[in-house]
Amino acid sequence: MDQLPNLGREQEMLSIMGLNSIEDLFSNIPEKVRRKVPLPLPQPQSEEEIWRDAQHLLGSNINLDSRPSFLSTGLSRNFVPTMVGMLATRGEFLTSYTPYQAEVSQGMLQAMWEFQTMVSELVNLPISNVSMYDASTSAAEAITCAVRVHNKKASQKDTVYISELVPPHRMSVIENYVQGSGIDIHLLKHDENGHLDIDSAALANGACAVYVEQPNCFGILDEGLMKLKDLIGENTALIVGVDAVSLGLVSPPGDWGADIVVGEGQPFGIGPTFGGPIYGIFACNDKYIRQMPGRIVGLTQDSNEKKAFTLTLSTREQHIRRHRATSNICSNETLIALMGAMHMSLLGPDGITVLAKRIAASTETARKAVSSIDGVELLHPKSSNFREFAVRVPGDSEKAISFMDSKGVIAGHPLGTWWDSHSSCILIGCDERTSSEDISALVTVIEEWTKEVSN
Amino acid sequence: MSDIFSFNGSQNAGWSQPEPILSDSEILDTIPKSMLRNNPPNWPRASEPELVRHYTWLSRRNFGIDTGFYPLGSCTMKHNPRVNEKIVNLPGIDRMHPLQPEHHIQGLLSIFYEMQEMLAICSGMDQVTLQPVAGAQGEFTAMRCIQEYHREMGESHRDKVIVPDSAHGTNPASASMCGYDIIEIPSAEDGRIDLDALRSVVGDDTAAMMITNPSTLGVFEPDIAKASEIVHSAGGQMYYDGANFNAIIGKTDPGLMGFDAVHYNLHKTFSQPHGGGGPGSGPIGVKEHLSKYLPSPLASRREITDEDPEGVGDGYWYSWTSPEKSIGKVQQWHGNAGAVVRCWAFYRRYGRELEKMSEHAVLNANYLRYKIMNPSQEVLSKIHAMPSDGAPTDFVMHEFTLSMIEMKDKVGVTGKDLAKRLLDYGVMAPTLYFPMIVPECLMIEPTETESKEVLDKFADDFLHILTEDPELIKGAPYTTDVSRVDEVWAARNLILRHPGNSSEDN
Repeated sequence: MDQLPNLGREQEMLSIMGLNSIEDLFSNIPEKVRRKVPLPLPQPQSEEEIWRDAQHLLGSNINLDSRPSFLSTGLSRNFVPTMVGMLATRGEFLTSYTPYQAEVSQGMLQAMWEFQTMVSELVNLPISNVSMYDASTSAAEAITCAVRVHNKKASQKDTVYISELVPPHRMSVIENYVQGSGIDIHLLKHDENGHLDIDSAALANGACAVYVEQPNCFGILDEGLMKLKDLIGENTALIVGVDAVSLGLVSPPGDWGADIVVGEGQPFGIGPTFGGPIYGIFACNDKYIRQMPGRIVGLTQDSNEKKAFTLTLSTREQHIRRHRATSNICSNETLIALMGAMHMSLLGPDGITVLAKRIAASTETARKAVSSIDGVELLHPKSSNFREFAVRVPGDSEKAISFMDSKGVIAGHPLGTWWDSHSSCILIGCDERTSSEDISALVTVIEEWTKEVSN
Repeated sequence: MSDIFSFNGSQNAGWSQPEPILSDSEILDTIPKSMLRNNPPNWPRASEPELVRHYTWLSRRNFGIDTGFYPLGSCTMKHNPRVNEKIVNLPGIDRMHPLQPEHHIQGLLSIFYEMQEMLAICSGMDQVTLQPVAGAQGEFTAMRCIQEYHREMGESHRDKVIVPDSAHGTNPASASMCGYDIIEIPSAEDGRIDLDALRSVVGDDTAAMMITNPSTLGVFEPDIAKASEIVHSAGGQMYYDGANFNAIIGKTDPGLMGFDAVHYNLHKTFSQPHGGGGPGSGPIGVKEHLSKYLPSPLASRREITDEDPEGVGDGYWYSWTSPEKSIGKVQQWHGNAGAVVRCWAFYRRYGRELEKMSEHAVLNANYLRYKIMNPSQEVLSKIHAMPSDGAPTDFVMHEFTLSMIEMKDKVGVTGKDLAKRLLDYGVMAPTLYFPMIVPECLMIEPTETESKEVLDKFADDFLHILTEDPELIKGAPYTTDVSRVDEVWAARNLILRHPGNSSEDN
């Protein structure tokens, strides 16, 4: 136990207070609710022992970098510049809390204002907050935000339309978040190419919001979405979930009428880290500013009229508005957003373009190579894909994945675990680090699987 | 003042990366023309040396626990051990995907399992989920479980959640997001729960009561078991806001107090760095009757068999399980795993001695309160007005509240002025104006990781400020990077991003 500077000085401090025992300080706890027996936990450990155990336990995991891996589902097996971790963990950033005292928090405030600007530039919408928990909570809170803004004028009250291709984990988060507001969810259908069914989308006109993803969960870039705002009309929010890196190459939703853009920030700033901490991007246009969730930094001046930064629009937030707050979010993912800002600024406008191209290139190369294997077919042969694509393989896809795993390749995600109807499908994810050698290894194990099944 | 957008170097001067594995024209062929982006985002063009200096400069304009004393009440700003940061950089956590098969993740699952068990033990609960990523999300998750429980019992008419007026704002906000109506009950004059007020609002529409104990005034609620009884006998559930868990570990627990559900703020009690406002981690624990509604999945284990592959060497095989009537997901994966691993490393430091941690947190709070409230006669004679205790009590737990109302009435110095003046003394200001029931409130939580010398100095500085020229205090701070910041100007002008550079060279 080495984290207590006053260990061994208890009596000295107690005697100054005129007390004899630390137990005196707990005398307000009634006997009836006192814990009578010691906590049945192991002995304290030293830093050295903890490091040893951590190395052993975490070292027994199989990490994505140890073999060819095609498991993505929206998370990126990225390369994070070395500067990011080193600078973000400077103690002044790492060990600070929400910058309530702006005068001693200008560093984090400015970094977040710059983050807001970079996200705003990326998606082409004027406003960004300083992060949500992840893409799913961003999407869920975008939906409840849009309902608050549009419900009054909506002809389909308390109603939102959501793409049926939103992956189940995200749909579950959305359902949990919207059920309390009494919001009805209708699903938007897709055609055999994985594109949004336009007739189905027109039904959403007059609802509070439409939520679609670009690319969708199969990695499909859908040109039709760019006309969606015209179909649903001015008073229905178009909410678009994006792969943030794709926007280095493809048109930002702000250019085609999106009102709110959400997405996973993780590819910028932090490794996949078992799914968290990551951060959700949340950007919107002016209409939503007073109903949006989360913290936001504004430029201001100090009492000498010198430029300064501060948290603003706090009256939306729980610590002031309580049960009428726009969200319950308090702790967010600021530190990870800071890492994102560092990564984005190192990339710059040219680097983000190259990064997006690397992913587009590896996706296309893998897609071509895999689809040329006998017995394997693309689920959507006519689509354009970014990062991910789905294939149908012979036999059960869970067995296929596990067979290929035994051959040393993490071949993707078996889609049967999401939808029973897709039990022979695999979602293959590529990224900037996917090499031609990785793709050859993938092709080899898929070929081995097809032989294994036919035998 | 420089900002990052003033870096506008040449196209080739920035950070380099490998080339794509296809040619430009092949790449552009994969995407319909109409979908291509016209101009790249207007991000800075900077090199690593420039950015390292920019962010180092920003970091020096920021105050953290590492910079100095950070007595921010309710936030438990304790030291963050550095080995924890080293551990989460191991590829066995940093380079892991949440959907990898179980035999890839035995080490992580064992840590998840150990944390679930440890938190259940410390709180007197039966089952814990680590999925919620912040205290507020933990509250929301637990209230969703309670909601499903009532629905299954055929009691979906229970639509009211009771919170004391001293509660954290997240409590009513989280319950409201679940669709509940909020009933706020006043606290008794001493800041404790008013049992008569509670009795008068419970009924067959009561879904739950949400409360933190020790309360936000830092006072242990002696009638807590009675409050639980009142709510339970009306058919409601008791929810424990674990924000103040640092005060009680090993001394009592929410289970003993009669609670059905609890959230933990791992970033407070177990030292996940707060990082400018997050990440956090907000696991919840519940009693048996609520456990089947918990988010999915949970870590579980069984004894290893001959057919199993090699595990972590402790004789168990770990796996994911899904509670029978799970509410599904609140975060899309398994929560903030990185925070869970850091907090595991932190807890291992104490093990069965966690009680010592709470003892020292409470010792430090009482010591600091004593030092502030008992100045020498010499100092006292120069003070404009002493603060008054936010709650009349002999002993507080891990934090305490002071009211500066007398100071405000006598010389016009507000709690905020005092907080700003403290910044000039090289410490972070306490939490300000919370709980709202204490006028001109300062809420102070030293945590167990501060030495006696730090506490002595803070008390001396605090008392010294009370003797300073009121006009001086009202103009503070003076030594910080910027002087007092105009929040109204910010809200009026809403400049929420950089306006952009006028000439573009794309």
